[in-house]
This record gives sequence, C-alpha cells and structure tokens, in this order.
Amino acid sequence: MFINQIARRTAYVLLLVVIAAVFVTPYVFAVMAAFKPLGEIQSGHAWDLPQHFTFDNFTTIFGEYHFGDYLLNTAGVTLILAVGQVGFSLMGAYAFARLDFPGREAIFWGYLMMLMVPNVVTMIPLYVMMSKAGAVNTYWALFLPYVFGTPYTVFLMRQYLLSIPGEVIEAARLDGCSELRILTRVVVPMARPIIVTATIIAVIFGWNNFLWPLIATDSNALQTLTVGIANFNSNFAAQWNLVLAGSLVALIPMVVLFVVFQKHIVNSVNVSGASR
Amino acid sequence: MATDTGNRRRQRLAAYGLLAPSLFGVTVFLAVPIILVIAFSFLRWNLLNAPEFVGLANYVDVFRYEGAGHALWITVLYVLLNIPLQTALALGMAMLMNRTGRFTSVVRVLCVLPYLATPVAMAVVWQWIFDPTNGMVNTLLSAVGITGPDWLNSNMWALPVVAFANIWQYVGYNMLFFLAGLQAIPAQVYEASSIDGASRFRQFLHITLPLLRPTLLFVLVTGVIGSFQVFDTVYVMTKGGPGKATTVMNQLIYTSGFQGFRIGAASALSVILFLIILAVTIAQFTYFRKRTVYEMV
Repeated sequence: MFINQIARRTAYVLLLVVIAAVFVTPYVFAVMAAFKPLGEIQSGHAWDLPQHFTFDNFTTIFGEYHFGDYLLNTAGVTLILAVGQVGFSLMGAYAFARLDFPGREAIFWGYLMMLMVPNVVTMIPLYVMMSKAGAVNTYWALFLPYVFGTPYTVFLMRQYLLSIPGEVIEAARLDGCSELRILTRVVVPMARPIIVTATIIAVIFGWNNFLWPLIATDSNALQTLTVGIANFNSNFAAQWNLVLAGSLVALIPMVVLFVVFQKHIVNSVNVSGASR
Repeated sequence: MATDTGNRRRQRLAAYGLLAPSLFGVTVFLAVPIILVIAFSFLRWNLLNAPEFVGLANYVDVFRYEGAGHALWITVLYVLLNIPLQTALALGMAMLMNRTGRFTSVVRVLCVLPYLATPVAMAVVWQWIFDPTNGMVNTLLSAVGITGPDWLNSNMWALPVVAFANIWQYVGYNMLFFLAGLQAIPAQVYEASSIDGASRFRQFLHITLPLLRPTLLFVLVTGVIGSFQVFDTVYVMTKGGPGKATTVMNQLIYTSGFQGFRIGAASALSVILFLIILAVTIAQFTYFRKRTVYEMV
C-alpha cells in the first residue's frame, strides 16, 4: 500500500517534470542561442551552453537593423491602444450597465453581434478605408482600429459593473455627482480588477498583433516587432543568431508582464471564461 | 418631479456621451467593414483602376484560379489536426493539475507562458528547432540512428509541425478554462458516486464531461474560430509552402489581397471564410444546446 503510494507520487511528479520541460525547453534553448555566435549555433547542439558568450547578436540587430525603432513603435502603439481601449470600453460598459437610455438594448445587441466577427474578415475593407483616408503607412493606422474599445472588452466590463451594488452609485447621484464624476471617483476604484484584466488583454493583443501591422505598414520606420521579426526571418533565415536574438527581445517584456501580473492573468482567463 | 425628469435627461445625455467613442469604433471599424467586404466581393478592383461590378464572378474565380478549394481543405485539415488534440490535451492536463501543491502550481504557470509569447517569435524558435541539419529534433533523432525529414519543406510534415507549434502555444491557455470549470464541480457529486461504486472512468464520463459542457463549448468555439483564422505561425514558418501544402485560407486572403491587389477576390475569400466560421459556430451551439440539460449562460 505504502510502496504503491510512493510509486504513484513519483509517476505524478515525473509526468509534471516532462510537461514542464516541453513548455520551457524552447525558451531555454532560444535564450542560450541568442548569446551564441552563428557558427556555434550551426555546429553545436541546442543544449550546449554558449562557449563564446557574446552580446554581438543584440548589438547587431539594434545597431544595424533598427530593432530599437521596432521596439519603440510596438511599445508606443501598445500603450495608446491599451489606454484607449480600456478607457473607452469602460465608459461604454458603464453606460450599458448603469444608465438608462432609449436604444440601450438594441445597441447592446449590435455589440454582441459584432463580437462574433472574426478579425481577418475586416482586414481588406479596413485596409481600403485606411488607404482612402491616407492613413496607410502612418502611425495612426496601427492603433486606430482598436483604440476606441472592442465589443469584447465592453461586454467583459459590463458584466463586472453589473455586480457593483447600485446603492453606492445612487448615493453619489443623490449627492449631485455628475455621471462622469461617478465613473471616475466611484466606479473606477471599485472596478480595479476588471480594469487590470482588460489592460492585460489589450497589452497582449497589441504587443503580439501581426497581420494588421503587416498590412498597414511597409516602411522600415513604422514597423512593429512582430513584422520586423517576420521580415528579418525571411531575409536572414540562415542567421539564426540574429533572428533568435530579435525574438528574445520581443519575448522579454511579455514574460516580465507575466511574472509581475501572474495572478491577474490567470484570473483574467477565469473571468473571461466565466462570462461566456 | 421636475428634478426627476431633469435627472433622467442628464443621465440620457451622459449615456450617449460615454457610449459615443466605443459606438464610433464598433461602427466604423467593425460594422462598416462587414458591409464593405460583402460589397467588395462583387467587384473587380485593384485599388488603382475604377472598380467594376462583376456579380458573383469572384466567387467562381477564387475556386477556379486562386485555389480556394485547396486552401479550404488545408484549413479544415489544420483545424482537425489542431482542435481535438489541443482540447484533449488541455482537459487531460487540467485534470492532472487540478490539485493544490506548490510544484503543481508552478508547472501550471509554465504551461500558460506560451500564450503570452509573440506567436511570430515562437514560430521562429520552432522553425529553428525543426531545422533539418542543425535543429534540435533532427539532432536528437540522429542520436538514435534516425535521419529526420526536412520537416517544414516536406509536403507531409509541414502542416503537422505548424499545428504542433500552435497546440504548444495555446494548450496551456485552454487548460486554465478547464481548471476553472473543474473547480466549479462540487466535490460531493464525486463522493456520492464513489459511495455508489462508480469507477474513475465512469465518473469522468457521467459527471466530469457533462458538467464541463459549458467550458467545453467555450473552449471549442473560441478554439475553432481561432484555428480557422490561423496566420502568424503559417506565414513565418512556411509562407504557405512547400508548394501549397500549408496555404490556409488566411494566407490565401493575404496573398491575393495584399500581394496581388485583387481586392474583389480577397473579399470573396473573406466572406467565404466568415460564412464557414459562422456555420461551424452555430452548429456547435446547436449541438451543445440539444445535449445540455441545464441552462447555459
């Protein structure tokens, strides 16, 4: 009985170790490769530690290949996109959840319908619209389609705001607070968890978005990290050292985000799952 | 009375004001494009010349000349490779890790990490790992005396490798939903059935699966919608090749629209993809609704 229990426990731990290895190994090898010269990547094994540890790959991509610009572009777009998306979605969500106005149901149904539209379906018309407006290949094109709030975020936040006790809002209203004041002074502090969640969702989306930036820009100066890496990859596929160093640069901020907001990220998935 | 109606009007004004930005965004960047993409699909247009109305010709042409049929088949194949395996793995991992313990929770966190990784960056890493000459996979295989294939340049292997990369990326994310679903099942249900002498397998079949149906529906619907739109990984790892072995619908939309500037054809392809996603989603909802006894939110 006792032996059996130990055997089971060992099997369980071993299984978890294997699973962990499957998820971690690619990162570990990519990180190591990013610090190896090209020759070493090609001649050695992925699991060898770097023999000639070097930062050259990073100095090359930042020095010769504009990686700093890509990083700044991505960070800027992600910041604008996240602030706008979260702010405007919260405003809309508050209106849907807490205010009475004619057309509320109809407009909300419209949002729900738009929730079901796949991203790619709108790409062609978005490109045409942006191109007619002269916005293609400008910074604007990168964030405009996402900055005004998405049906998903509005829906997510509305569900949360519905759970805030109405008396608190009524009390503020009786005190003569304007709705904007209620939103910023009463609702925002109480809605902090969902605001963090929506921000994380927006940041992950903005940082990793690929198809739209690929379509909307073709000048070097405007490229985002994802597009930069993809181009880099097709132009220098043999130079794994540079491509992997670039990939690592793109990964680090997201991993940091994850480590810092780990609990929130796990919760945010649960929240969006519960609100299905 | 007077202040009451004044209040109401103020509330109404505030509501429209607060709603305006997101309503503007949803209308201009979602609703209008939907109408436009349908309209464009009836045009022959390269953005430079005047558009010409061609009726349903694009829908015929994309099948005749652009390889829409093949791309659809590859997309369906990809979804079939991806979804069952990913869902089963996610559920299995969730059941395995549905317990407390520091080690377990660390592993759980590690499984979610790929969800955050830029798919483009990870695609590069997988491309390198599956490199035929000095990639990790073939190096390992040669250690045991097997000459591995040139994975991404092989008609047979390219699509499974792309599917593998995507499963790796999203399986942990889906696992979280199953974990949340499992934790919502009251322990008493299992205890009661244990007393009745039900085996673990019977418990899984008759308790876990039925009670997980809402989660399963959510994971499947979002997973299928996402898989039908696969692009990043394909674009970086294979560009749709070798030949057309991994040319999924989205890759084809991209090449006809933004490399060939055939706006009408690309729009027709988008509409076809949209209709298919819509049909599959509705089918899943109907299937699950019929088979779910209790209220689904």
